[in-house]
Amino acid sequence: MLKRLYDYFVHPLTQIEFRVNRSDRLFVFLSLAPSILITMVVVFLPLFYALYLSFNNAEVVVIGGKGGVQTEWIGLSNYFYFLQDKAFWQGVRVTTYFTMVSLAVELTLGIIVALVLNQEFFGRGLVRALLILPWAVPTVVNARLWGLIYEPQSYGAMNGLFQLLGLTTPDNAINFLTPVPIFQDVPILGQLMGWIGSTSAINWIILADTWKVIPVVALLVLAGLQSIPLDLYEAAKVDGANNWQLFWSITLPMLRPILLVILVFRTMELFRVFDILYILMAYTIPVVGIRTFQETFVFGLFGRGSAIAFLIGLFILLIALVYINLISLEDE
Amino acid sequence: MSNEKIHPTNRSISRRDFLKAASLVGGAFTSSYVLTGCNSQPPTVTTPTPKGNEIVTLNALYMNQAGYSEKVLKDIAARYAKASATPVDISFTFVKYDELHDKIVTSAAATTATFDVILLDLIWTAEFGKKGYVIPLDDRITPEIKSDITPAIFSAFVYNKQTWAFPFLANFQCFFYNADHLDKAGFSAAPKTLEEWYDQMVALKSKNIVKFPYIDSWNQKEGLVCDYVRTTGQCGGDLFDADGKPAMDTGAGLQALQFMRQLIDDGLADPAATNTDEPGAMNAFVSGAVSFNTNWTFVRGNMLDPKLSKISASARTGLLPPSKDNPAPTGSVSGFQGLAVMANSKNVAQSWDFIKFATDPTIQSENLQSEFPVWTSVQQSSQAKKINPDADLYATTLANVHHRPRVANYQQVSAIIQEEVHNCLLKQTKPEEATSNMVSRVSALNG
Repeated sequence: MLKRLYDYFVHPLTQIEFRVNRSDRLFVFLSLAPSILITMVVVFLPLFYALYLSFNNAEVVVIGGKGGVQTEWIGLSNYFYFLQDKAFWQGVRVTTYFTMVSLAVELTLGIIVALVLNQEFFGRGLVRALLILPWAVPTVVNARLWGLIYEPQSYGAMNGLFQLLGLTTPDNAINFLTPVPIFQDVPILGQLMGWIGSTSAINWIILADTWKVIPVVALLVLAGLQSIPLDLYEAAKVDGANNWQLFWSITLPMLRPILLVILVFRTMELFRVFDILYILMAYTIPVVGIRTFQETFVFGLFGRGSAIAFLIGLFILLIALVYINLISLEDE
Repeated sequence: MSNEKIHPTNRSISRRDFLKAASLVGGAFTSSYVLTGCNSQPPTVTTPTPKGNEIVTLNALYMNQAGYSEKVLKDIAARYAKASATPVDISFTFVKYDELHDKIVTSAAATTATFDVILLDLIWTAEFGKKGYVIPLDDRITPEIKSDITPAIFSAFVYNKQTWAFPFLANFQCFFYNADHLDKAGFSAAPKTLEEWYDQMVALKSKNIVKFPYIDSWNQKEGLVCDYVRTTGQCGGDLFDADGKPAMDTGAGLQALQFMRQLIDDGLADPAATNTDEPGAMNAFVSGAVSFNTNWTFVRGNMLDPKLSKISASARTGLLPPSKDNPAPTGSVSGFQGLAVMANSKNVAQSWDFIKFATDPTIQSENLQSEFPVWTSVQQSSQAKKINPDADLYATTLANVHHRPRVANYQQVSAIIQEEVHNCLLKQTKPEEATSNMVSRVSALNG
């Protein structure tokens, strides 16, 4: 694994050729020094400190009028604590479910929206501009907004819509964010849903999160669509290809680089999801991001909090490796 | 169509392609975050910056969710600055309740505190006292002061025989009901016992006056622990015994959870309660959708305001009905909050001076409209009774509050209680199993 990472991230850096004079190198390094220093202070220093904390029992104390973090070395105990903790693995499963389902929905809908926007129609420019609006809504605001939409009383927006459509009555308002497994009463399937953490609540929250992210996915895919040479389509049409064949054999493969990059970025974002779930459901949906927050800031166990954060980092690294393998990079 | 003519499926991606696409997406993500101000924090309200070195700046942390409003707090600060012998400037930071604890811990982690004065929820008393985040105030509080504050309030801030905060907010849960609904169901008064309350709910439901007679804030948060402690108090007991050991699997603790679960099973409590917080429960009540709500004192002002409430004419406050075997007139839960001085503050003396000013009976008697005072003399004043006709009822409730456990690892204990009670109310476990789990998990936590 380490060799793979080295080959991908470090080796290319060693191949950079400096096309500057020897005398200019000092200037180059001096110019870069502030950035390197800032990166060291705000990225690497906290990172190494957190790594150190993860091997300790660490808690905040104030002694003699001075505040600080008191540590006691315990080696890998914090890591073993989580690896043996059933609740942690339940959290990993729920997080994986949230990530995978969100990705599938975002990519599918994002591609559909992009394909529509790639067609000529009246007002296309305006629609494209308006499309970005949900992405401009801050995550916290988005969560609050959907909290009002999913309000479980008859005055909730979604319940109101359902009543308008005749799907429900004011006396039968739906509690969308019910945190119980779907198909709970169906044998085996219900147990499976419980095991992976698929509840009505998480599925509706995936919809809320997707609403915000689809615009950016769609716009990126749209950019990819516009870079596909039109003569490929023309040649295929001459050969008698239908629309589905055009999409499957030209569009989708040509979008592969952009789709895979979206996949990498969104996976990383989704795997550390916190805000929307915390705001709408507090601690009810135990994704690993929420567990990290709880251990660190609610319980004040900074050692454990750091350990779980590094475990999440490790999971994301593993996923990144899978993606790197998937995209099968070739040396130029 | 031949695959030989069109080869995109075999198209490999070069590193350059990948990096180009990555930088495009990276740039888009980064700029979007910058533009949208992702994870924006609530606004920080600050008073004017000091003009000279001689001015002492006090940083105070408060919440903008309940209790005295920002306006009242800023007014108190301005008056203190005017009255203080030393030039002083008070800068308030207002955050949501959920963020208070984290901000305080972060402030304690710094060599010198970010905040000098903090709002301390009673559940943090043991944790902050044990870890030394705040200073003990005993040598600053005179017996005269103590004698004018209800012991139930004062004791909430005592841990290890020391007082860690000065009472500021006398918050507790009350019983709110819709008199019109009761009237339609044939009841002329609020229930006197828990059993009578249950009967009233059954009648309200069977007569189709409401679909669900009751709602509470039973989402998996601290509020759920409060509701469980309160119901246990109504049943005449506590979740922990006199030695601080968990005792919810027998007696009042078990009875309380059985009662809560029964309300769900019988369709008397709205199942949506399991993902409803306190404001959400209040909204359902003031909309007229339910007949009963047990909630904090902030509900009273909202339910009587015709602009906010559809039931302003019929909304009433009552005593939380105790079970028929409980000799107490009521049972409630405390949500007291006090002002404390951070132990790593550079301005300990000035901070205490400000707390004395802000908690003074005169100040509290000027704000009776919004908050119930902590001082007994103010509670019993004719002015208080005139402004709040429920003052006597409040006083009775106050005298019968039950505290949540005062242990240094309260947050972990609370998380266990929240999870088990929530699972039980979602019908995933039975009350007996849930309470048994609570006892074993809390016992394991405490070794």
